[in-house]
Amino acid sequence: MSKDDTPKHELVIVGAGPAALSAAIYTTREDIETVLYERGVIGGLAAVTDIIDNYPGFSKGVTGLELADSLRNQAERFGAKIELGEVKSIINGGEYKRLVTDSGDVLARSVLIATGSDYMRTGIPGEEKFYARGVHFCATCDGAFYRDKKLVVIGGGNSAIQESIFLTRFASHIDILVRSKLKASEVLIKELQRFIDSGKITLQIGITPKEIVGDANGVTKVVGVNKDSKDQDFICDGVFVFIGLKPNTAFLANTKVELDARGFVITNQDFETAVPGVFAAGDVRSGATMQIASASGEGATAALRIREYLEGRTREVKNNLSAAA
Amino acid sequence: MVKNITIFTTNTCGYCQMVKTYLKAKGMGFDEVNLDHEPHRRSEAHRLSGALTVPVTVVTKTDDSQEIIVGYNLAKLAPAVN
Repeated sequence: MSKDDTPKHELVIVGAGPAALSAAIYTTREDIETVLYERGVIGGLAAVTDIIDNYPGFSKGVTGLELADSLRNQAERFGAKIELGEVKSIINGGEYKRLVTDSGDVLARSVLIATGSDYMRTGIPGEEKFYARGVHFCATCDGAFYRDKKLVVIGGGNSAIQESIFLTRFASHIDILVRSKLKASEVLIKELQRFIDSGKITLQIGITPKEIVGDANGVTKVVGVNKDSKDQDFICDGVFVFIGLKPNTAFLANTKVELDARGFVITNQDFETAVPGVFAAGDVRSGATMQIASASGEGATAALRIREYLEGRTREVKNNLSAAA
Repeated sequence: MVKNITIFTTNTCGYCQMVKTYLKAKGMGFDEVNLDHEPHRRSEAHRLSGALTVPVTVVTKTDDSQEIIVGYNLAKLAPAVN
């Protein structure tokens, strides 16, 4: 019989955002060997957010990069190992789950799915064509290219308003296109008002984006449809899109992990999915509040449930061995 | 074989940090052009990548050929530097 050399782990966490890193802080402190796989940015969407003002413990706010670094350093201090790579699927194998990664398979007694979410695309013509040449989804990455230029931001939630405020440090003027009404927090709306009053930002309520138009040099305008169903042009040099979040769950498509109609992972109140030993926490979970503080809390709670699960499995195996002896 | 690596970055760019983290983990040195400190080099990054974004990683090989990687894209970055 050939020996299976596939690496074995107590816990594999898929993702390395706030939920994942918080869980890792808890599990490693409990001496549960923990490996995280991250295909994108350590810290997740939080790491590409300019300033985070509502994470408890930071009276003056904290930059996304600083928070991500702190979480990462804290998890690594207790022994968490972060692999830069992608988990492509999870196969339930009973005691051990097999994870297919881009650097080979690994086995895990328990798994935490904490892959978070990503910004949705509008799907309108021009969006794909001008991607990174005038259409962007990361203000902290690409805003610097629009010094003294005109911008359009699409969206009316917290991200759209916060990123618009960030972009004012570069852009000469920003039109924010909002389809129905502003859904941002009151604090952000108050801050936004300062920029509206100074003429730096114009709120365009009741505008549904229809097309992003450009030429060989990049984007030249966004065409929207107003409340009277008439086309309206918004001249600009670039467009930033923040219209909501979609879960990073494509890799679960052919697994037994259940997803809701929007693709978020369904769990019970213990954060366990339909597959025993596979848990989910943070923005990827159905019913999540999409807040960094909540994601951290969910990660910590999931870690405690994972500990109970692993202890239970260990007891079960020992009992079975005793009964067989 | 890699001769040198240059990364165009900004202060606030999380994906730029990831490129640097990846290269450091591989023990590879690199030059960094921070566009917040050297804004006049934005057009150079744009010309090389054809994109208005960072990170832009320029991998120069020993035969002086160049590979340009836009964004944090491990599928392209890993083979380019290995």
